[in-house]
Amino acid sequence: MPAPTQLFFPLIRNCELSRISGTACYCHHRHLCCSAPYLAQSRLRYAPHPAYATFCRPKESWWQYSQGRRYASTPQKFYLTPPQVNSILKANEYSFKVPEFDGKNVSSVLGFDSNQLPANAPIEDRRSAATCLQTRGMLLGVFDGHAGCACSQAVSERLFYYIAVSLLPHETLLEIENAVESGRALLPILQWHKHPNDYFSKEASKLYFNSLRTYWQELIDLNTGESTDIDVKEALINAFKRLDNDISLEAQVGDPNSFLNYLVLRVAFSGATACVAHVDGVDLHVANTGDSRAMLGVQEEDGSWSAVTLSNDHNAQNERELERLKLEHPKNEAKSVVKQDRLLGLLMPFRAFGDVKFKWSIDLQKRVIESGPDQLNDNEYTKFIPPNYYTPPYLTAEPEVTYHRLRPQDKFLVLATDGLWETMHRQDVVRIVGEYLTGMHHQQPIAVGGYKVTLGQMHGLLTERRAKMSSVFEDQNAATHLIRHAVGNNEFGTVDHERLSKMLSLPEELARMYRDDITIIVVQFNSHVVGAYQNQE
Amino acid sequence: MFYRLLSVARRQRTGRGWQNWSSGRSSASAAEAHSVALPAQAQVVICGGGIMGTSVAYHLSKMGWKDIVLLEQGRLAAGSTRFCAGILSTARHLTIEQKMADYSNKLYHQLEQETGIQTEPLLSSLLRRMPDLETLEILKLVNCPETFTPDMRCIMGESPAVQGYFVLAGMNSAGLSFGGGAGRYLAEWMVHGYPSENIWELDLKRFGALQSSRTFLRHRVMEVMPLLYDLKVPRWDFQTGRQLRTSPLYDRLDAQGARWMEKHGFERPKYFVPPDKDLLALEQSKTFYKPDWFDIVESEVKCCKEAVCVIDMSSFTKFEITSTGDQALEILQYLFSNDLDVPVGHIVHTGMLNQGGGYENDCSIARLSKRSFFMISPTDQQVHCWAWLKKHMPEDSNLLLEDVTWKYTALNLIGPRAVDVLSELSYAPMTPDHFPSLFCKEMSVGYANGIRVMSMTHTGEPGFMLYIPIEYALHVYNEVMSVGQKYGIRNAGYYALRSLRIEKFFAFWGQDLNTLTTPLECGRESRVKLEKGMDFIGRDALLQQKQNGVYKRLTMFILDDHDTDLDLWPWWGEPIYRNGQYAGKTTSSAYSYTLERHVCLGFVHNFSEDTGEEQVVTADFINRGEYEIDIAGHRFQAKAKLYPVTSLFTHKRRKDDVELSDLHGK
Repeated sequence: MPAPTQLFFPLIRNCELSRISGTACYCHHRHLCCSAPYLAQSRLRYAPHPAYATFCRPKESWWQYSQGRRYASTPQKFYLTPPQVNSILKANEYSFKVPEFDGKNVSSVLGFDSNQLPANAPIEDRRSAATCLQTRGMLLGVFDGHAGCACSQAVSERLFYYIAVSLLPHETLLEIENAVESGRALLPILQWHKHPNDYFSKEASKLYFNSLRTYWQELIDLNTGESTDIDVKEALINAFKRLDNDISLEAQVGDPNSFLNYLVLRVAFSGATACVAHVDGVDLHVANTGDSRAMLGVQEEDGSWSAVTLSNDHNAQNERELERLKLEHPKNEAKSVVKQDRLLGLLMPFRAFGDVKFKWSIDLQKRVIESGPDQLNDNEYTKFIPPNYYTPPYLTAEPEVTYHRLRPQDKFLVLATDGLWETMHRQDVVRIVGEYLTGMHHQQPIAVGGYKVTLGQMHGLLTERRAKMSSVFEDQNAATHLIRHAVGNNEFGTVDHERLSKMLSLPEELARMYRDDITIIVVQFNSHVVGAYQNQE
Repeated sequence: MFYRLLSVARRQRTGRGWQNWSSGRSSASAAEAHSVALPAQAQVVICGGGIMGTSVAYHLSKMGWKDIVLLEQGRLAAGSTRFCAGILSTARHLTIEQKMADYSNKLYHQLEQETGIQTEPLLSSLLRRMPDLETLEILKLVNCPETFTPDMRCIMGESPAVQGYFVLAGMNSAGLSFGGGAGRYLAEWMVHGYPSENIWELDLKRFGALQSSRTFLRHRVMEVMPLLYDLKVPRWDFQTGRQLRTSPLYDRLDAQGARWMEKHGFERPKYFVPPDKDLLALEQSKTFYKPDWFDIVESEVKCCKEAVCVIDMSSFTKFEITSTGDQALEILQYLFSNDLDVPVGHIVHTGMLNQGGGYENDCSIARLSKRSFFMISPTDQQVHCWAWLKKHMPEDSNLLLEDVTWKYTALNLIGPRAVDVLSELSYAPMTPDHFPSLFCKEMSVGYANGIRVMSMTHTGEPGFMLYIPIEYALHVYNEVMSVGQKYGIRNAGYYALRSLRIEKFFAFWGQDLNTLTTPLECGRESRVKLEKGMDFIGRDALLQQKQNGVYKRLTMFILDDHDTDLDLWPWWGEPIYRNGQYAGKTTSSAYSYTLERHVCLGFVHNFSEDTGEEQVVTADFINRGEYEIDIAGHRFQAKAKLYPVTSLFTHKRRKDDVELSDLHGK
């Protein structure tokens, strides 16, 4: 399935929505700012566009729709029943258990649970998980797309191949290259663990393969003969940079096939952050580009849970990133390079794949857009050059890599897009997952300070607490459990069914204002295996 | 009627049938009225005077046998035959059942003339004239026992244990329909040694002692009964009486999503449902169209073609024949049509033929040593093949035949990467120079010793069969799966195997081959030692056939204008039309994921346009025809082939065609 374009749509939509329902909602579409003055103009100058029509209802019908539902005035009418809530929450859940063949396949990873809850339509988040077949280790990643899902989709399909190839020893690369040359069957590199909804682009498969092959051919040529241990950190950095470079090159070169040509341009003009974990035995590497996050769940000796952050957000809240950007550009740009907490006043994450608008020279952007297909030429967003654009590139896909040596008390890793982290504190995330996975609930006294609580409400809380003891909300998937909390938690930190039901019954057009796409992978570690590693030394 | 009728009446009904049989007989002369003294001996004794017994007696007498005794405890046709509604349905599920019913229909018309009985037409005319009679109240409701079988088909043939003991029973409420035909085939069998049609599907020997447990019969028969009136969809699996025989890997495979079918009591994997992939509910999955497992089997087939798959094929029947001297080789040379005097370590594909040159069994035999052979046959051959060998082998304490089916777990490693997996596990080179095709070697795999590794896959794809002593099965499987990971290994099932073998034109016994098809009729002359001057069963028939030409020829058909998604699928038994004339029926079919077409195998006959008589079929005759396959009344164009499509045997691909997905583990 081709990934539908959304280059322009989110901007328009958010502007209109904020005008329509200005109260009580705060704009969640944070990656790309919608309040900059140029956007008002661009909206006015907007020419009707076929891609737009397919995804956005005309304004009038939207009004009828929302008024017909009378969402705001009588919300209780539209409550979803618990089974309906469950079917929405579980639609994208996926679990994988590492197969063990009686001690043959010992892995420090027990398995993982993952899930996604869309707010955008279609969802712009992506997730990937795969086992490296020719080297040891497992790769897991979440990708948060912006300005459409084309880039996040491409990165979710391709990045792990670039990583796996970067990790391959010289002989294996040679063997694969020879197999391609002589038409033999290739050694498989990755065993994917995909939900049926996680698709691969069939059309671009050959193009992607050719770019990847060029990469490994270069790695083969670069080999100096002195075989050294491959450094995982270096491999991760190379892979990220190389893929972003290929995305950029493919868009510049174009493709004779008009569908592919449009696809590579959409990939390059949209963007995506990536947070990827590589687990091999006790060696855990996290490569992060952007504002998704990797959080380690650690169980202390007293059984309580604490969170260890394994990635740094690349955004305006990170002093070091602000510093980096200022250093990378002339002094006179110090005020314009980050404005209103956004890169050039526009982009929330300070590192990302794609987004060539923040990477290419103005000349190159104009040239590619002019020679590109009409759809691209007609698109105001792609044509728009960011203000104060003097010394590109302003954006990089280079990841920050952190290393952590797993200990027996490290029970799980949560990878999630910012949709989760902006609704829940990391400590709560780790506690909820920890309690879910161990089946243990450290009952904390219900804190009511600061709120007026009626006896009825308190009764409700206590009843719910009892229900929770018996069924843990019947979730079989830690990520689903987390989403249930992220969306349904009330002021007291417990899931409020009414609230959950309300949030999930928001019409497509409104959902994005109350929450962002949420994508979560919970990787569970095998403490016995991790402990055995430790004892070996 | 030429046979003597004997009614053995019993005065007292103190017990049940057989226990009272001897007392009944001894008191027969003292019994009432028309009892006759029993003869001391007879050529044939038929027990039971219902429609079956009388039909067999009738046909035997028509064929010239005179010395027949028919025993009946009460009156003729007084059992279930009497209570049957008189309905003769000629729309049957199986071809052979169809033939029996058709014949019965004709026979009863003829008998009407012979005997003048016309009850049924009389009643119909009566009801037509006085329809009010239809509403007449039933005064007496008759409830009498009927016989059912575990697979809804009747039981017919000679007992594998007692020579000369023939059985015809288990009519599943269709006794009247089958009576005439079934009686005739059994009579032929008794008189000539074989029936004139292929009755394997009804043969008593398709069952073994394993299907005779009371609990099994009780459960299965309760399932069978309503199914008789159900629509017979292809690939139906019984739900009861399952998990009787299983491989030691059953649980392991089941946990990985295996869906099972049963043959001869043995559970075999059909395909493996990936996690998170839902199939239709049982009822919804009944279809004559594209089935819900289509994509699953496709990915298994693709993995067999490009990487490596494991199929648990433990259900295969496995015999060992050993001797102290040359006795084993000598008897096998006589019983099998291909030359078995091959160097130790070679595997021979060969038929076990009857006097008519037809396949009683089609098997692979490995020569383990000078004096010992390992024989692999289809699953359902366990009883039949054993009985056949026992019948033909001399009583010789120096010649030993052993059924080792239960001793070995068989894993089929299919695909271009099988060689990598196995060489890694055995520390031995497995390339064709070291391990040529159709070769058998005992070697170690992982920690386990004495694994019989054979370079064959029953599909024409590269790979190996591993015959593993069962105690090592789990170990070897775990090793294979673990090492195989980096080659993209996955489990596969019999549906993938079927697609692979049919697209390569591999005929299977029991589906395409039977007792009435000869090696020459399916292009297997190279598997027959006609030129070696050695005698073997069926040789004369084959020599004659070679001189005169064959009257039917197994042909492969590739459907051209068939829409896999929208059209009804072929399964088996579809009529083949050559230049618009009926020319035969298909025997099996499968979707070929490589050719992206349906492939059917079937026999083409050459019926004379004037007389309908069968004429010689030549290769030229096949090649010159325009073919159509009729699926449920719609004819599809088909290309006929006498040899498999050669491009299927080469696995090269152009480097321009490689995709990212080729690097996925399967």
